[in-house]
Amino acid sequence: MGMKGSAICTDNSFTGKRKVKSGLRIALFLALFPLLLALSLLLGPSGIGIPDMQSPSGSAILSLRFSRLLMGMMTGAALSASGVVFQALLRNPLAEPYVLGVSGGAGLGATLTILAGSGVLATFGLPVVAFVSAVLTLMVVYGIASQGSSGQPSVYSLILSGVIVSSICSSIVMFLVSTASVEGMHNVIWWMLGSLQPVTASQQILSSGLIITGLGGIWLLSPQLNALALGREMAHYQGLRADFVIVIGLLLATLLAATAVSLSGMIGFVGLIVPHVMRALFGPDHRKLVPLAALGGGTFLVLCDAVARTLLAPVEIPVGVVTALAGGPFFLIILQRRMQQAWIA
Amino acid sequence: MEQDALTFKNVSAGYKQRRVLDSVSFTVREGEFVSLIGPNGCGKSTLLKTAAALLKPLSGTVELFGHDVQHIKPAVRASLLGVLPQKIDSPMAFTVSQIVMNGRISSMGRWGTPSSLDHDLVERSMIYTDVLALRDRFFTELSGGEQQRVALAMVLAQEPKIIMLDESISHLDINHRQEVLQILMNLNREKKMTILLVSHDLTLSAGISDRFLLMEAGTLVKAGTPAEVLEPELLSRVYNCDLTVQQDPYTGYLQVSGAIDSLRRRRKLEKSVHVIAGGGSGIELYRRLLIEGYEVTTGVLNRLDSDAEAARALNIPAVLEQPFSPVGADAIAQAMEMITNADAVVLSQVPFGSGNLVNLELAEEALKRGKTVLLASGIGERDYTEGKLAVDFAARLKHAGALNWNTIHELMIQLQQPSHS
Repeated sequence: MGMKGSAICTDNSFTGKRKVKSGLRIALFLALFPLLLALSLLLGPSGIGIPDMQSPSGSAILSLRFSRLLMGMMTGAALSASGVVFQALLRNPLAEPYVLGVSGGAGLGATLTILAGSGVLATFGLPVVAFVSAVLTLMVVYGIASQGSSGQPSVYSLILSGVIVSSICSSIVMFLVSTASVEGMHNVIWWMLGSLQPVTASQQILSSGLIITGLGGIWLLSPQLNALALGREMAHYQGLRADFVIVIGLLLATLLAATAVSLSGMIGFVGLIVPHVMRALFGPDHRKLVPLAALGGGTFLVLCDAVARTLLAPVEIPVGVVTALAGGPFFLIILQRRMQQAWIA
Repeated sequence: MEQDALTFKNVSAGYKQRRVLDSVSFTVREGEFVSLIGPNGCGKSTLLKTAAALLKPLSGTVELFGHDVQHIKPAVRASLLGVLPQKIDSPMAFTVSQIVMNGRISSMGRWGTPSSLDHDLVERSMIYTDVLALRDRFFTELSGGEQQRVALAMVLAQEPKIIMLDESISHLDINHRQEVLQILMNLNREKKMTILLVSHDLTLSAGISDRFLLMEAGTLVKAGTPAEVLEPELLSRVYNCDLTVQQDPYTGYLQVSGAIDSLRRRRKLEKSVHVIAGGGSGIELYRRLLIEGYEVTTGVLNRLDSDAEAARALNIPAVLEQPFSPVGADAIAQAMEMITNADAVVLSQVPFGSGNLVNLELAEEALKRGKTVLLASGIGERDYTEGKLAVDFAARLKHAGALNWNTIHELMIQLQQPSHS
């Protein structure tokens, strides 16, 4: 696929064809995703189709669906872009916010905030507390993984300690839930299952601001992410401030994951599979991959949410269940057919 | 007058707990072709990493063209110095041309959009290293040698003034190795590019290098012309094996070769050694004796002993006895037969207790039959018998003509002496 090297290869028919194919695929995707988003507006527990806009309940339903669409776009984009960055920086297809304990840490912070009570802290504090606890968790994971190694921890010890710290975090959350009051327990569990139920407007604005900032920062970082594909050492030789880029990238990815968790709870799978699928479809150049993965993650989550609220209406299935059930098989198909384009391990 | 390209001033460097470079000082002048040689693990790669500011020196300074490399901006440093590591790998499916374009990353703008100059340099580098035809292939699909040439193209696209190669050409087939060396020599001659090549092929390096830097255990032991550095005694000491240096009568090139006794490969030594060991003290002896070409037998060993395991794995005939039981007459007779057939008997640094004291009696028997007996020294520290019986025994053996050995190296020399075989 064309990318950095594409322009020099325009005279080459082989590359030319590849480039056109890749361009076509991107155009198709860009045309398709607004349609998919529009489709999600038609689905809901009140029925399939455009609600009656004349009646107050109809317009309320549409506005509710629209706000869920926005929530889904934000959360999905954040999780997916975060996954892209973790996979690029750790150069490992298993890396994602959950594996490194970032989501677990954010979840623990959020649980504490929710149990501490509502009010100002719960509104404005939730994303901030989630981010701070996610960063702390990442530091703990990094610290454990660095023990005994000379300098940089290996990716394997990072992932291993991430998994361990993550499960410790979720155990603490379980403990907190089991000792909480009935109301607190209900709040936390409802949040933990993951849902795109609208939050307060102020929290939505704050979270959206954080997510858009994070996405922009990562997009700016994407040429460096490309160079880091050859590893920290080679990137250093080529004149990159490799360690600086790695730290900034990890912080931005953590910000995105933590904000997504504080907004919509623990929604799994998006951060792992959407980056893989997008990389398989559009190639590994992060200048394209970051925005495409953000759009793809958002669209995927919005669609999953539409299914979640419609399928067993009026009962709502947790959206995390749908992401896993829908994403898993899709991922396996892509893995079989196009993995070579994404990762060759 | 050429300026100094790379200068190490009393540089010590390494990792948290492990100091690898110890007060290294040298200068490479602009336009020189220098080979850095030394045994595995002597610090060559660490030296390159320190030169490229990937590692911060613990003390001392590294200068690139007169500037402390720690204070050079990364993008500027990349325009001065390119490094080709032993191996690079890309976990993601980037194409060859994308990989080579990485060499331009710090010259391109914020958004990483290549200019026409960047494209030209990338294409020229790929032509140079004969990878243009591979440019749309995925880097990960290529063979090791092809990947190395792509990596070289990437470093060339960087247009550095110095290139450091860390054993980077050892994966190449002979055709492409010659080509790559030719490319490096051309760059060196025509563009005055400074080359620092870490190499294990001393003969090859001798033909193309202006100077050699020889390292040993983190220190620079010698710097000079190939003829000055490639001294048989010096090399043999540093590489810990016998090496010879010859001058090719036709080309005048120096040739370094290991003094492996080529005859030994064709015929066996026709000498056999019986080893009396136990508790793992025999493993290194077995290994060295087998490498040297001796027929080896061993015993009496306890059946569960780690030496017994090793002997079985190495197909060494061994006399074994049931664990936790005294050595029986059968076993002693078998061992005696082995000793009779052996040219020499070697006693390892085995600890002695009442259970295996009988092995010393075997050694005494061997002496009586005129065999050379070599006894590991320091038996006093390994004697756990009541009343230090083994020490007395050893003294008797020495009196009867047994020899002492301290190191395995020493033992091998003693075994080679004709009088004892």
